Amino acid sequence: MSATMIEGVLLAFVLGCALGAAVLKDVLASVIAFAAYSLGVSVIWVVLHAPDVGLTEAAVGAGIMTILFLLALSNTVRPSHDQFFESIRLRTVLGVGAFVVVMAATVPALPEIGSSAPVSTGEVTTYYLEHAYKETQVKNAVTAVLAAYRGFDTLGEAVVVFAAGAVALGVLRREVFA
Amino acid sequence: MSADSDQGRERQESPGLYVESTVIMTTVRVIAPFVLTFGLFIMFHGADTPGGGFQGGVVAGAVVMMLAFAYGIDTTRDWADARLVALLGALGVLTFVAIGLGSIALGGVFLEYPLYPIKKASKYGMELVELGIGAIVASIAVGLFFLLAAGFGHAMDEPEGDES
Repeated sequence: MSATMIEGVLLAFVLGCALGAAVLKDVLASVIAFAAYSLGVSVIWVVLHAPDVGLTEAAVGAGIMTILFLLALSNTVRPSHDQFFESIRLRTVLGVGAFVVVMAATVPALPEIGSSAPVSTGEVTTYYLEHAYKETQVKNAVTAVLAAYRGFDTLGEAVVVFAAGAVALGVLRREVFA
Repeated sequence: MSADSDQGRERQESPGLYVESTVIMTTVRVIAPFVLTFGLFIMFHGADTPGGGFQGGVVAGAVVMMLAFAYGIDTTRDWADARLVALLGALGVLTFVAIGLGSIALGGVFLEYPLYPIKKASKYGMELVELGIGAIVASIAVGLFFLLAAGFGHAMDEPEGDES
């Protein structure tokens, strides 16, 4: 798997931001590093020809999540630290390292970047790609799966989002909106 | 909204929190219509280009956050009431359900778009569904934002949990 210049720079950037989010002592700095990480990942999605995922990552991961984190932070007291980085325990390093090794073991199973072979060998993927436009008249196969083939699932998803939000609003409204 | 919220607004103008800035207000006033248009574009055009209800809804919700950033959170919350926000989400759910059940009423199965007697029924039906999803996501994003922001700037001179 050969990586181009852009991909290499992006990967280094994302890894650096992820490490920063993990080891920076100051929570505000951590949140900012996490937002930068999300933005980097969203660009990587676009490079990998997954613009739908990239758009979601940029809007939700880098945008809304950062705002909500910052608002939550603004309601807390920020202690000042003398050290810049979190002290790192050996146990944590071993645990995270083992997880990384397990995840990295799955990488060789992925197809080459830009290859036309589907990630899963199921017939379903090929069927969607071949029939989506004919059957649903939309050019974006992701939307075709989301709103047509898997429309019922999407309804459930949307209702879950709505129910969770509405309950949170209903329970907390009396508390916070005086 | 009683005298309590007026107090809240006064507290918010204490230094370091909400700052009324002409630069920010003017920038937001210029940019907001474009961001809202972009959000609606992502929602509507999700059928043919990347995007869809989830992404577009978040972008549309971000417009309200931008307004809050420029004009103050309490002012924006008075303008976009929590009930109004929840109603928007409920309308989104109802739109989706109505399109889904409508095709059953026409003698088909759930979400069978081609049964609707309009041209390119699948495409327009799907776009309406995306719009419904967008309304849900936008309302929940804005609602969560207001909930988390409720204590913004009040924590300094008040003991915790003294908002009600």
